[in-house]
Amino acid sequence: MRRVEHIMGFPVSLRIDDEDVPEEAADALFAWLREVDARFSPFKPDSDVSRLDRGELSDDDLSADLVEVLGLCEEYRVATGGAFDARLPGRGLDPCAMVKGWSVQRAAELLTAAGATRFCLNAGGDVVAAGGPWRVGVRHPEQADRLCTVLEITDGAVATSARYERGDHILDGRTGRPATGLLSLTVVAPSLTEADATATAAFAMGAEGMEWAAAREGCEVFAVDAERRVVRTPGLPVAA
Amino acid sequence: MKRALPVFILTVAGLIPLWRYEPPAGTTTTEAAELVPTPSPASSPSPSSPSSSSSSAASPSASAAASQVVRGSTVNTSKGAVQVEVTFEGDKISSVRMLQQPNHPQTTAAVPKLIEETLEAQSADIDTVSGATITSEGYIQSLQAAIDAKDA
Repeated sequence: MRRVEHIMGFPVSLRIDDEDVPEEAADALFAWLREVDARFSPFKPDSDVSRLDRGELSDDDLSADLVEVLGLCEEYRVATGGAFDARLPGRGLDPCAMVKGWSVQRAAELLTAAGATRFCLNAGGDVVAAGGPWRVGVRHPEQADRLCTVLEITDGAVATSARYERGDHILDGRTGRPATGLLSLTVVAPSLTEADATATAAFAMGAEGMEWAAAREGCEVFAVDAERRVVRTPGLPVAA
Repeated sequence: MKRALPVFILTVAGLIPLWRYEPPAGTTTTEAAELVPTPSPASSPSPSSPSSSSSSAASPSASAAASQVVRGSTVNTSKGAVQVEVTFEGDKISSVRMLQQPNHPQTTAAVPKLIEETLEAQSADIDTVSGATITSEGYIQSLQAAIDAKDA
């Protein structure tokens, strides 16, 4: 089964190789992501996130999901010395960087619960794969028509933060300025929650983020710095 | 756990050349994905066939898989129309080519990705790409349409 839908501003592409998984499992996955968009988008005035930011929700009103996301945001803010921050000065609450990985990981868990054992889910370039081997190319940071490495993933997640396409969209929370120390940083981790947040946070930290991410439990790192040097961890699962 | 980090320092430019942009062929827009007839493998000359069977282990993918070319539907994005053409060898994608892509400089650089082979088919054959984002929308949709049309 192959499906593509456009949610949260990016294409979500799903491939399930199990023959006996019903289309409804994919329907439920896309419905979940739409629900997340409605509840957690800071760009939708009636989302929980927007209402919380306007002071319309008290702590007792928060859903368990939102509490979890805010807790993760705080965990990464502390771990990065403030480089990763969902509450930048002068800006509204924006947990997007955490919500994406967290919600897509949850979506993958829905598939597993529905009986899928071999699938590949790609949400705007962030990947959760199960039952591999899957060959996951990493986009070249400067040339969109090339890859800079190919990874082999059996069960796990891959996330890449980079400056291409959306330009300098990741801010270093410590300075409030765009992060410019790296061209691209990719993290392989057991879950996309970890991979995506670690990639985003490390990218925000700049060059020092490479070492920081590599030191995180379960994370493997591939990075291209501003001088176009490639740095990776020894355990990175590069495909043969 | 703290690990020593920098291990391999390569220049980015030296890495895997994957997919070479070919200028739009000026083809007209098609609304739906379509199959494009291709010559069957049997009809094309195969100079290496006499020696290959005796000299090494069998290579089923080289001879058995039929080649099939499928066009994705044209997808209109905010930056312009996108359409891809996919060549399958059996069930595997062996190449992807842009038939139409926006002229905007940023998207021209950002649109194509995924797949390609030339002689590196084995190592370049991939299932998905990490690091694609917004402007790849049309590309992925058109690619998906081609895949769907092929399976149908």
